[in-house]
Amino acid sequence: MAQRVEPKAVGAATPAGPQGDVAVISDTVLGAQIRDARRRRARRARRRFLAIRLISLVVVFGAWQIYGMHTIAILFAPISTVLHQGYLLFAHDQLGSQLGYSMWTFACGYAIGVAIGIVLGMLMGAYRWAEAAASMYVFALYATPMVALVPIISLWIGFDATAQIVIIALFVTWPMTVTVFHGVRQIDAELMEVSRSLRLNRRQMWVHVLLPGAVPFVITGATQGVAMGLVGVIIAELQTQLSGLGDALQTQSQTYHTAAALAVILLIMVLGVGLRAILGLVHHRAVPWLRIDRGDGAQR
Amino acid sequence: MASVETASAPRDGHRVASAAESGQRGGDIVCSGLYKWFGDSPVIASLDLYVARNQFVCVVGPSGCGKTTLLRMMAGLASIDSGTIAISGQRVTEPLASVAVVFQHYGLFPWKTVFHNVALPLRAAGVTKGEAARRANDALKLVGLNDIGNQYPAQLSGGMKQRVGLARALAIQPEVVLLDEPFAAVDAQTREILQEELLALWSRYQQTAVFVTHSIDEAITLADRVIVMGAKPGRILDDIEVPIGRPRSVASVRRHESYAPLREQIWEQLRGSSTAGGERG
Repeated sequence: MAQRVEPKAVGAATPAGPQGDVAVISDTVLGAQIRDARRRRARRARRRFLAIRLISLVVVFGAWQIYGMHTIAILFAPISTVLHQGYLLFAHDQLGSQLGYSMWTFACGYAIGVAIGIVLGMLMGAYRWAEAAASMYVFALYATPMVALVPIISLWIGFDATAQIVIIALFVTWPMTVTVFHGVRQIDAELMEVSRSLRLNRRQMWVHVLLPGAVPFVITGATQGVAMGLVGVIIAELQTQLSGLGDALQTQSQTYHTAAALAVILLIMVLGVGLRAILGLVHHRAVPWLRIDRGDGAQR
Repeated sequence: MASVETASAPRDGHRVASAAESGQRGGDIVCSGLYKWFGDSPVIASLDLYVARNQFVCVVGPSGCGKTTLLRMMAGLASIDSGTIAISGQRVTEPLASVAVVFQHYGLFPWKTVFHNVALPLRAAGVTKGEAARRANDALKLVGLNDIGNQYPAQLSGGMKQRVGLARALAIQPEVVLLDEPFAAVDAQTREILQEELLALWSRYQQTAVFVTHSIDEAITLADRVIVMGAKPGRILDDIEVPIGRPRSVASVRRHESYAPLREQIWEQLRGSSTAGGERG
């Protein structure tokens, strides 16, 4: 708190003096001081954040470890055993190739879902006719648990990777479409009016207004899509031909290798967190106009 | 009721054309027999207005008198239910290339830098990249913002944002500038500074301007001519020449002998009509 007051106090002591030069020099010095103080404060806040996170990890995994050591191995396992089992699955079983397979189907399904979601969502957001024609199906499918469609998809396409990719894409498409649709709709009505006033043609409207305006929502949708897509991967692999991480999970838990099953689950969690983190970076890069220093030391 | 008024509204296209031809071409505005309804109630009824080339006109009136609607119709952003508007002899049915608008809430694209915001209408009009850059920079220099071209609107204060809005309007070198309460969203001090800058700008580069405002002071300060509008339905109550020469400053206008009586006159007009005042903004 005391440090927070410091730059302000210095500022109050240097109103623009009678000599312009003096004021300029002290302003420059003052500016640097304020900047430094702000940076220090931001660094402190970051460190604090990381420290709390670290403590939280230690507490949770510590509790897991202790509880795991005092329970039956069929029901639960300490984190150390889980990690060891995970290593063994990678080194001596097929977890590596299973992970590769799952990631491959995920990438295909996710890409298809995101692409359809962007196109459909933007069309529905930009054109009334597209909304009138398509929105009811989109919202109906959005509200339907996609698991319900899995048996039908299998019936139509089969049990192979293609069917799995279609299922994953279905999981991603609808939330993506709905998010992008609402995003395009939320682009300021005044800005749409400005575009008309500036006489932008249809192409310029898309390039300069609709597409950049939708970028934050596309990324939000894509981030939600990661979680949905991972759900899709596991469901597809359990419900069609047993394969990938779903296979690993099923095999280990049905043979009561609880520690190994937990290792697979942990791996899926890490995947989700990691992919979301990557998209967080993309978001940071893709919308420079939203991360602006507003003078409070925090970058948004 | 409404339909009766439509029938009696003058739809005389010839009058528009002849007025435009008799006046000086390029930058004049002719509104004749304008009607506009929101639902069943007329927002503007039987409005005629002529703005000569290079004239700075302020429109004052209470909320709901249709002054912003009038401006939006001139800008080609609101449809005209009956009557015609012609700018530089060209009938307004859509936004015209010779008209620039300054918006109340700035209307800047948050994902574009200041420079790209100003250059956008030039690029949209097919100006080459180099030429657009040169003219955008000139316009920014004109409003005193030549060194912030790389910043995003979110980094600017309200006053700076509206300077960018003004630069964007001037960059296309329009024949007519329409300003919709451009200084309503900034604080009182900034407002006065911006008025000062606008006066200085207009004493150097005269052009036709229609400036909508709530403020009587602002209207007298800026305008060659003040149009006083009343509500229910929106119509012109008075049309007053401001007998204060240019160049002006905010202070010199306030000190001018005709300032106080003029203010009194407009205020009386508005008070007289505000008893019937509307609620639509």
